[in-house]
Amino acid sequence: MTRVVVDREVCMSAGVCEMEAPGVFELDADGVLQVGEVTDADAVETAVRSCPTGALQLVD
Amino acid sequence: MPTPTLDAIDLSDRQFWGAPPEQRHAVFDVLRRESPFAFFAEPVVPYIPVGPGYHAVTRYADVEAISCQPALFASGSGAVSIADMPPDLNEFYGSLISMDDPRHGKIRRIVAKAFTPRVLEKLVGNVQAVADDVVARARRTAEDGDGTIDVVADLAAPIPLRVICDMMGIPEDDRAMVLQQSNVILSGGDPELVEDEEYMVTAFLKAGELLAGLMARLAAERHAHPADDLTTALVTTEVDGERLTNQEIASFFILLLVAGNETTRNAISQGVLALSEHPAERDRWAADPGLTRTAVEEVVRWTSPITWMRRTATRDVELSGRSFPAGSKFLLFYAAANRDPDVFADPHRFDLSRDPNPHVGFGSRGPHFCLGAHLARREIGVAFRAFADALPDLEVIGPPARLQSSFVNGLKRLPARLADAR
Repeated sequence: MTRVVVDREVCMSAGVCEMEAPGVFELDADGVLQVGEVTDADAVETAVRSCPTGALQLVD
Repeated sequence: MPTPTLDAIDLSDRQFWGAPPEQRHAVFDVLRRESPFAFFAEPVVPYIPVGPGYHAVTRYADVEAISCQPALFASGSGAVSIADMPPDLNEFYGSLISMDDPRHGKIRRIVAKAFTPRVLEKLVGNVQAVADDVVARARRTAEDGDGTIDVVADLAAPIPLRVICDMMGIPEDDRAMVLQQSNVILSGGDPELVEDEEYMVTAFLKAGELLAGLMARLAAERHAHPADDLTTALVTTEVDGERLTNQEIASFFILLLVAGNETTRNAISQGVLALSEHPAERDRWAADPGLTRTAVEEVVRWTSPITWMRRTATRDVELSGRSFPAGSKFLLFYAAANRDPDVFADPHRFDLSRDPNPHVGFGSRGPHFCLGAHLARREIGVAFRAFADALPDLEVIGPPARLQSSFVNGLKRLPARLADAR
C-alpha cells in the first residue's frame, strides 16, 4: 500500500501538505507533522510535490 | 517598445524600478536569455560600505537550485538588502528571513506552531468580515465624495492591516503607526516615504524602535493577561524547553507586521490593476467563484510582490556549469523566474485558470518558503470575491503611482471610481 515518508530533518512545518490534503496531513499542536492513511491519492501526490522543503516521499 | 540591450541594463538604478512592469519584464527577458547571472555594482546606501556587487539570477531553475541548497547559499549575511548591513541590524529587521540553521530551524519551529493551517483557520475566520466591512466603507467614501476612491488606501491596505493586527491583538489606536512604520521599513528609500536619502538608515532605525516599543508593551501585557492571539503564542510557546528571547520576539513581531501588510497589500492593488487591464479575465472570475483557487496563484505569479531575496555563497560554488567564488552575492529574481518560458507556457499572458502554476511568488523550495502563504492566499481570494460581489462597478481611472523599490513591487496609489456612486 502506498504511504508517505516524512524526512523529519527537513520538514519545517510549512503546512502546505495539510492545505492540499487536509484529511491525510495534520500539523499537531506542537507543529509536528502527523500523516494518516493515504485516502485521496491525487491530493496526496499534489501535497508531496508541493512540499517546499521536499520533505515528503511516496513509497509503495 | 525597443528590446533593451544588455550593456544598457542596470538593475541598481532606482529609476528603473519606478518604470512600468512591461519595461521591467522586457529587461528580465533579455537577462534570462543572454546573461542569466548578470553582474551589477551595488546601489549606494549612505553610511553603509559598498560591497563587491551581485549576480542577478533570472532563470527559474537557478532560483530553485540556490533556494534548495541553504547550506551553500546562506541567508545569514542578509536576505533583504543588497548591502551587508551590520549584523545586529540585519537580524533585527530580517528576523527569520536573514537567518540560517540551526537558529533558523529553532525559531521557525516555535513560530510554525502559531502558524499551522488549523490555528490560522481559527484566527482568520474574520477575513471575510474584514473584507466586507472594508468594501462597504470604500463605497461610503465614494458616495460621500466625488465617486472616486484610492484602491491602495481604501481597499488594498486596510484588509491585510486589519487581519494581521487582529491576529496579533494590536489595539486600534496603534494601527495607523504600524502601517506608517512598516511603509518606511519597506520603502526601499523611496523619496516620498523617506524624504532625505541621507537619513534612510536613521528612518529605518526609528521605525524599528517604534514597532519594538509597541511589542514590548504588548508582550508585558500578554505575560500578565494571556489572550487568544498570536502575540500571546509568541511570548509563551516553547520548543525543547526554549522560548523566544525578548529580542527575538520583537524582531519577529516586526517581520510579521511588515511582511503581513506590505506583500498582500501589493498583491491586491496590483491584482486590481491587472484585472482592469484584462477585463475578459475580470469578468470570467466575477462570473465563476470556482476560479478562485487558480486565480489567486496567477495574481501572485503575475505581481510577484517581493521581487527578490538575496543569498550569499558560503564557499566556492557551481551553478549551471559556472563557478562562483565564496562570498558571491546572488539576488533571486522571483519576478523574472515567474515569467520563465521554460516553466510557464506563454509567460506574459495573464491567465486566471493557469494550472499547474508552480510560481515562486512565495519563494522557491527551501526552508525560507513564506510562512504566511496560507494566510495571504486566503486574504487575496476573499478580497477579490468581495470586490466582484460588492464592487462590480469598480473602474481604475488613472495610472498608478509606483514605489521606486527594487525589492517590493509596490503601488503607492491607484485612482479608481465606483461608477454607481453618486
